[in-house]
Amino acid sequence: MKGGKKKYLGVFLPMVVVISAPIILRDDDAAAMNQAELRLEVITPHNELIRREFGEAFSRWYEKKHGESVYVNWRTPGGTSEIKRVLDSAFKAAKKNGSEGIGLDLFFGGGVYDFKGQAKAGRFQKLDVFEKEAGLFERGIIPEIQSGEGYYPREYDWLGTCLSSFGICYNLDSLDRLDLPAPTTWDDLGRPGFQKGIALADPTKSGSVAKAFEMLVQQKIHLQLAANLSRKEACAKGWVEGLNLIQRIGSNARYFTDSASKVPHDVAQGNAIAGMCIDFFGRSYNEALKKENGNSRLKFISPVGGTSYSVDPVAIFEGAPNLKVAQEFVNFIFTKEGQMLWNARPGTKMGPKIRGLRRLPVRKDLYQEPFLSDMVDAEVMPYKIASEFIYDYDLTGRHFTPLRNIIRAMCIDSHEEMKAAWEALIKADFPPEATAKFYDVSPVSYDAALSEIKVILKSGDKIEVVRMMNDLGTYFREHYREAERMALIVGKGDSK
Amino acid sequence: MNKRTAYILTACVTIFFAVFFLYPAVIVLKEAFYSSEDGFTFSFVGEVFMNPVYTEGLWNAFALGVSSTLASLFISFPLALIGHRYLFPFKKSLSALVLIPLVLPPFVGAVGVKQILGIQGALNAFLVKLGFMEPTMPIDWLGDGRFWGVVIMNALHLYPILYMNIAASLSNIDPAMEQAAQNLGCPPWRRLMRITLPLTTPGIFAGGAIVFIWSFTELGVPLVFDFTRVAPVQVYDGIKDLGDNPFPYALVAIMLVVSTLVFIGSKAVLGRSKLGTAPRPKGKNVEVRPKRGSAWLCTFFFFLVFFIASLPHAGVVVLSLAHDWYSTVLPEVWTTEHYREALGHPLVVPSIQNSLFYASAATLVDLILGVAIAWVIVRSTIRGRAFLDALVMLPLAVPGLVLAFGYLALSQKGETFYFLVQGAVQNPTWLLVVAYAVRRLPYVVRSAVAGLQQSNLALEEAARSLGATPARTLRRVSLPLLSANLIAGGILAFAFAMLEVSDSLILAQQSEHFPITKAIYSLLGMLGNGYELASALGVWAMVFLGISIIGAVILGGKKGGLFRM
Repeated sequence: MKGGKKKYLGVFLPMVVVISAPIILRDDDAAAMNQAELRLEVITPHNELIRREFGEAFSRWYEKKHGESVYVNWRTPGGTSEIKRVLDSAFKAAKKNGSEGIGLDLFFGGGVYDFKGQAKAGRFQKLDVFEKEAGLFERGIIPEIQSGEGYYPREYDWLGTCLSSFGICYNLDSLDRLDLPAPTTWDDLGRPGFQKGIALADPTKSGSVAKAFEMLVQQKIHLQLAANLSRKEACAKGWVEGLNLIQRIGSNARYFTDSASKVPHDVAQGNAIAGMCIDFFGRSYNEALKKENGNSRLKFISPVGGTSYSVDPVAIFEGAPNLKVAQEFVNFIFTKEGQMLWNARPGTKMGPKIRGLRRLPVRKDLYQEPFLSDMVDAEVMPYKIASEFIYDYDLTGRHFTPLRNIIRAMCIDSHEEMKAAWEALIKADFPPEATAKFYDVSPVSYDAALSEIKVILKSGDKIEVVRMMNDLGTYFREHYREAERMALIVGKGDSK
Repeated sequence: MNKRTAYILTACVTIFFAVFFLYPAVIVLKEAFYSSEDGFTFSFVGEVFMNPVYTEGLWNAFALGVSSTLASLFISFPLALIGHRYLFPFKKSLSALVLIPLVLPPFVGAVGVKQILGIQGALNAFLVKLGFMEPTMPIDWLGDGRFWGVVIMNALHLYPILYMNIAASLSNIDPAMEQAAQNLGCPPWRRLMRITLPLTTPGIFAGGAIVFIWSFTELGVPLVFDFTRVAPVQVYDGIKDLGDNPFPYALVAIMLVVSTLVFIGSKAVLGRSKLGTAPRPKGKNVEVRPKRGSAWLCTFFFFLVFFIASLPHAGVVVLSLAHDWYSTVLPEVWTTEHYREALGHPLVVPSIQNSLFYASAATLVDLILGVAIAWVIVRSTIRGRAFLDALVMLPLAVPGLVLAFGYLALSQKGETFYFLVQGAVQNPTWLLVVAYAVRRLPYVVRSAVAGLQQSNLALEEAARSLGATPARTLRRVSLPLLSANLIAGGILAFAFAMLEVSDSLILAQQSEHFPITKAIYSLLGMLGNGYELASALGVWAMVFLGISIIGAVILGGKKGGLFRM
């Protein structure tokens, strides 16, 4: 019996210790937030830190203004692709049942592409902030369009809350080890020497990433235009050069990931040399890895001339159950207090409680004193950087969806063959014929992308789409295999 | 078992399964067979076979499944056999410690592996320190490993499933059989091949089928190695695609068929008990105490398996205590700050309560259903029981995300499962319990089937002929005989339910309903120190689960043996 008791004690004592640890360490302030009078249902892909800071700051602001406490209930099914599915499923059921809403108030965070899709499906309602704070828009404090990126639509049913862009993060130790110069442009990521060393985001999983690739192609077209080619010629040539650059970068890529945090983490840990990275992730990792002497092994840069800033919007759903609170949430986000939360230092008057969020506010009027001195990233002037790149919708805007699919066939579905061909080309010092084979993108030319490819993609005939993607994938894989074979023959000839 | 009871049980189980597995799966998978132009179509499935990238992906997944199963068997069979036959130093502790892979939350494990195998990881730093590697030329283990890297990781993660099943099978063998062979002069190797191995085939099949289907459909490990041309990764990629791509569903449908065929095929070869109606073991298996050196060799083998299998855990533990772990064997600066921040986070306490409830309730459901299903499969003679057997294995072959989206669609207002989430806040508790239970059911069914196949029908018949009711026979004779197998299956079901990811991510959308895995996932997204925070909470989950499993073995196992009867 005694032995039996000992046995039970031996199991239950450690169990009690383990379970009590989080109870003792629990942050009661935040836990108490759940006992509120009002509730707000928000679906979001934002990370836990942003959710916590905005949830608590809004609750304080609302209680001060209205005398009622509010609990922000975050719904987080995952990233934007999971959110899209959740919304599709919920609205489909609502339509079937004749319900007006889906029990959600707000959609907060994600890319413009996601919001445009939801708005097109008629799932959002007009935001009060456009009337209540009309000055913000009339005076251009929040612009409608900036370097080609829309920050809000004419229907006024969504609005960008903070800015983000893609840039390059790189590991200084890895560059040193491989004796490579630091990248400053997108072109640099396509240089030999970076094989298996580039961490890339997947443009088929995120509209923002696809936009970054579009910018890269458009930059090449701009260069052709600057060289005085006719618009038609510049588009055709620039498009090919853009795709060829994507081929080079893709060949150096370790992977195409849908996880925003994977790229800077892998670069920080030295698993990748450099990567395509969302700005605030790059800056956060740079800061987190700073040593006492101020040096950090991870650097983040905005590539010269190839950056535009897009926004993470907010919108209110049709049939929102807590409409008044939802409109107030949006109003709060665009107050100076709400906007400064994105970038103010923790501990400053309008700063976050726990840690800096490292996002950039969308309000232009905050990029001046006295606000700048409270900002963590005061040296980044996004509106200045964005104005260096003039986006022209007519050049590539209509190519947006075809480009995403072309990258899938050209780089992602053909990645193994592409990497092998690229390796062989480098070893053989880029023999002209094999190199030409590798770079041959004729079936996906500027005109083809807008005609055959776009027509099939828009047709909605999934079987046709699938066949086209299969054909394109096969084309590229065969070309890469052939380019590899040709390069290997030349390589062998040289070695003899 | 009389036919009427068998039919009623089969009907109940089939209805449960049809409603909670087939229906949500079909809701999602119909996209693979439906086109707005042609209506019902096999075109998408046909196109999968026309597309060399997808056929290669399927082939790679199949090859990974077979190789991982063989590699797991290579580790687990000697382990179980040595454990069964010999007494050696630290046997009791090591027998429990080799189950360590069961307590590793999947994506946290990936973080640990990357810390060790990364280019600037601990292994390369160690090799540099020993002088075996130039610091300027580190090996890219993850980038170059690919296929065999995935096989090794799968084997190290999944061998406990086979080990537990084989251990349970071995304990059911009548030692008289082996002794008879020995007395007739049969040498040890021949005895192993002709007596022991054939008699353990139900256990090998029970574990092997799960390991094969698991590694055939495994997503996380190939993703760690960036091995993308493999069917589960292609499915995952396709589901997350911004366009509505029907291919992933067609691929899932094909994977389901392959899994079922492999299951049925291997069952025909391995699944039948070679014991037939052999009597229950009359004597207790006598464990031999080998010579001193050999005994320590056994200890070393167990320890080696434990050591290698626990490396990802060690990676997670060290990372959770590291200020910055990079390019060194161990971190230069240690801290406990991540634990304070992670365990103090408001998400954590409710998520622990939630996970405990979800996983315990799901395990209970699985045990009840599992025994009923196994009973029909083994003890009845009704037609279609083989079909039922294959059917209950299918949840292993359907990616978690697919089922999760099915549940999501059906739990909307006005839909079939809405009653499970009713209420103002749409509480998904019962939905998650059902989802966890359905996906973990195969573990319990396989264990229970293996146990029933090996337990002697004559004992049950004797009880019945002496006037015991069927319920009393079940309670007093059959269940005690099955207990070792049920503990094994129950532990697997509980552990994997606690560590479930896909359903948790999609269905638990509100923080008050988060299970522990979703809390870990949320911490992973924190800027700067997210990986360290996730590791800290991951370590907590590992310790908790470790204590639970060891506790279950200590309190539930009889006579101190692991799965001994």
